[in-house]
Amino acid sequence: MGPGLLAYTIRRVLWAIPVLFAISIIVFWVLRLAPGDPVDSLMGTRYNDETAAAVRKKYGYDEPVYIQYVKYMQNLSHGDLGVSTRHQGFTVSEVIWPKIKVSSQLGAMALVITFALGIPIGVYAALARGTFLDPLTISFWLALDAVPAFVVIPIAQYYLAVKMGWVGLGWEGVWSPNAILPVVIMSLPGVAGVARFMRASVISVMAEDYVRTARAKGLRERTIVITHITRNALLPMITVIGLSLPGITAGALFTEQYFGIPGIARESLAAVTAPDFDVVLALVLFGSTLFVIANIVIDVSYAIIDPRVRVGTRRG
Amino acid sequence: MSNRTLTLMMGFVAVLILAVGVVFVVVLASSGGDDSSGATDDKPTPTRKTAGGICGGNVLIIPGDEPNTVLDPIQVGDVSTAEYVAEIFGGLVTLDLQLNVKPDIAEKWDISPDGKTYTFHLRQDVVFHNGRRVTADDFKYSLERAADPANASLQVLPYLGGIVGVKERFANKATEVKGVRVIDEKTLQIELEEPEDFFLAELTYPVAYVVDKEQIKTSPRNWTQKPNGTGPFRVAEFKAAERIRLVRNDRYHLGVAKVDEVIFELGGGSVSTRFENDEIHVAGVPLLQLDAVKAGNSPLSQFYKPQPEMSLSYIAFNVKQAPFDDPKVRQAFAMAVDYKNINENLFFNALRVADGVLPPEMPGYKESIAGYKYDPVKAKQLIAESKYAGKMPAITLKYSGAAGGGGDLLEALQADWQDVLGVTVDLQGIDPSAYLRERKKKTFQVLADGWIADYPDPENFIGKLFSGSSDLNVLNYANPDVDRLLDQARSERDRTKRLAMYNDAEQKILDDAVVIPQFWGVAHYLVKDCVKNWPSAPIPIPKYRYVEIDTTKK
Repeated sequence: MGPGLLAYTIRRVLWAIPVLFAISIIVFWVLRLAPGDPVDSLMGTRYNDETAAAVRKKYGYDEPVYIQYVKYMQNLSHGDLGVSTRHQGFTVSEVIWPKIKVSSQLGAMALVITFALGIPIGVYAALARGTFLDPLTISFWLALDAVPAFVVIPIAQYYLAVKMGWVGLGWEGVWSPNAILPVVIMSLPGVAGVARFMRASVISVMAEDYVRTARAKGLRERTIVITHITRNALLPMITVIGLSLPGITAGALFTEQYFGIPGIARESLAAVTAPDFDVVLALVLFGSTLFVIANIVIDVSYAIIDPRVRVGTRRG
Repeated sequence: MSNRTLTLMMGFVAVLILAVGVVFVVVLASSGGDDSSGATDDKPTPTRKTAGGICGGNVLIIPGDEPNTVLDPIQVGDVSTAEYVAEIFGGLVTLDLQLNVKPDIAEKWDISPDGKTYTFHLRQDVVFHNGRRVTADDFKYSLERAADPANASLQVLPYLGGIVGVKERFANKATEVKGVRVIDEKTLQIELEEPEDFFLAELTYPVAYVVDKEQIKTSPRNWTQKPNGTGPFRVAEFKAAERIRLVRNDRYHLGVAKVDEVIFELGGGSVSTRFENDEIHVAGVPLLQLDAVKAGNSPLSQFYKPQPEMSLSYIAFNVKQAPFDDPKVRQAFAMAVDYKNINENLFFNALRVADGVLPPEMPGYKESIAGYKYDPVKAKQLIAESKYAGKMPAITLKYSGAAGGGGDLLEALQADWQDVLGVTVDLQGIDPSAYLRERKKKTFQVLADGWIADYPDPENFIGKLFSGSSDLNVLNYANPDVDRLLDQARSERDRTKRLAMYNDAEQKILDDAVVIPQFWGVAHYLVKDCVKNWPSAPIPIPKYRYVEIDTTKK
């Protein structure tokens, strides 16, 4: 890594800090401005003022918002994400990390499958351009993308579990055979998008001069496709892969719901409706940090691949 | 097929194989890396039991709701968490399956002639799960812990607020609860501000359960992972959002459980499919899927078991908001709806049409008590006689958007009110917290509301919801006659007389038409044939110790 690249990276990282601060302030305030009140939700239909006051005091909600924010940031600097109100007695860390872990593991597996299928399918479709196999392949995967998860899942569950007895449906952890079906269901809808992107990329590379040169040299078709076309066509995929990485931690709502997966998507939804201030804030900060990091990584890797990017930003 | 296409196809297959291989390697490489967080002892849980399927073992596997709070009795506020806590802990008194108050850790008790002082004599053979004997000191500690404002228990004032000194302790004006006194190791005295005949019923709620102060002192943060209670089961495993595994307490003093374990699967998921797939013993069925299950040709219909709940859904009027400040309008609204018809056409007759407030399971339920019957002609006439005849203001009925399945019902009401009364009612679904705010501020005109009993006493229904002085009365309703009856009933010692007072109050409330009772709750379950003595208790009570698994059945 050259000195110019290092400086570029550092500058990008430093810029991320005020961005995250701004996000934390906005979310902190917006949550407290929104109509929902966590103490009201907690007490439900059994509301009484004395108890509500004690609960507010316990969570520090009786103080002005800016003091709450300062205290929150102080705790955050020690790695303390606060406490959950929806799960009385649990800390935010206890609530979110196990669930993020489960969602990320499933999401990562699904992502690997999506790209492992999508990339070769895209290459294949591009090479098959002009024959019926190109539209057939892409439409097949588009069809899978088009059917909503809440339609696919109950049908798949009924036939594969009850009728065929191949898998169980209970949640027994990420590494049990019961996790195969949810992972497959999470991965298939994304394949069409990746394949179409890859197909377009391959087609544009196929028109490049160096491909024609390689053909003229008399190289074997397989060598041309693998080393000349696919490798170069993969470059734009960096952005796609990079930007989908933070998404794997977000979980998949319907899949989690139908398979009883203790994932973060269900928790996020419930935390927002409750509202569970600290949990929502932690999730937003976690998500935006990942997004910012992913963007830095993408930009830096482009800078490595293409020095013009670096020079351009330095001037601007 | 051209040579090129053939090569392409082979390439495609090769890449597919490669992709599957990559996934396989990733899975293998990282397997075993799953460190099970959360409390676990014994072996990790095999969910699919022995060769005979789930009916071959002695473990009950049922879906459970994720607890909303840690398993700490004083924090429990919702029915689903109370289910677990009731199995793990115990208190002075408990409820049997018929909801009678029975001795638990207290063997017997004396009540002073003025009804204010309860002296509990504790059993000497009751131990915590770790073997330590329970003494009167433990109860004093537990009750004072509940009243400690730093713990901010939501339940202590509603349930134990009548004990002398609880309010002072909760307001931080005292360091102890004066009204709870340890006479000796096995005698505990509790003094009340006013006599309350339903005090023992209140004591059956988790907030009054006994906890182990030594455990809380040694691990104040984590003791709820494996709480040391006195109940029929102890926690063997608690993995948030996944599973709670309870193991039988072999020294339980009221009769040891028949099953070895109860596993609650917290993930939810497609429970009726999982039931069909022999993965769980019991499955709850949502109201909207009921037709599929109850249909005679469904393989699941033979397992269907409805279970009454001690709850009521109702339409609540704000009696200080136009047009519902006129009793005639309220009566007309009540008479304009045919609930029997709605039950038949929308809910497969699976609900119980409520003609009064108290559910039939509640002590003091009286069949003759009834609200206004469906009478469209009279309803129309009442509207014409009301002070809003011809100048009906705009009416909005608000409901909590989270109340699933309410849509059809409310639309049916809307249609009835339109057709019978010629009154247009707008329906407005709002998010749960906004809904709670409406209730609290009493800004609504009319609400779709409901109530679930906490303990089996009419005070919990009639007293809490309709007394002019109750925090929980959101209707702006205050009828001096009703209030007088409820005040008398609170302190009346003769149970028969007391229940009769609630009956009178209930009839007056219905005559005032401040609410339109709709349905008494029913939960719908599928239960495997091998599950014997499946308890149909309408509120959370310790009940799984009665269950047996008959290994001769499937």
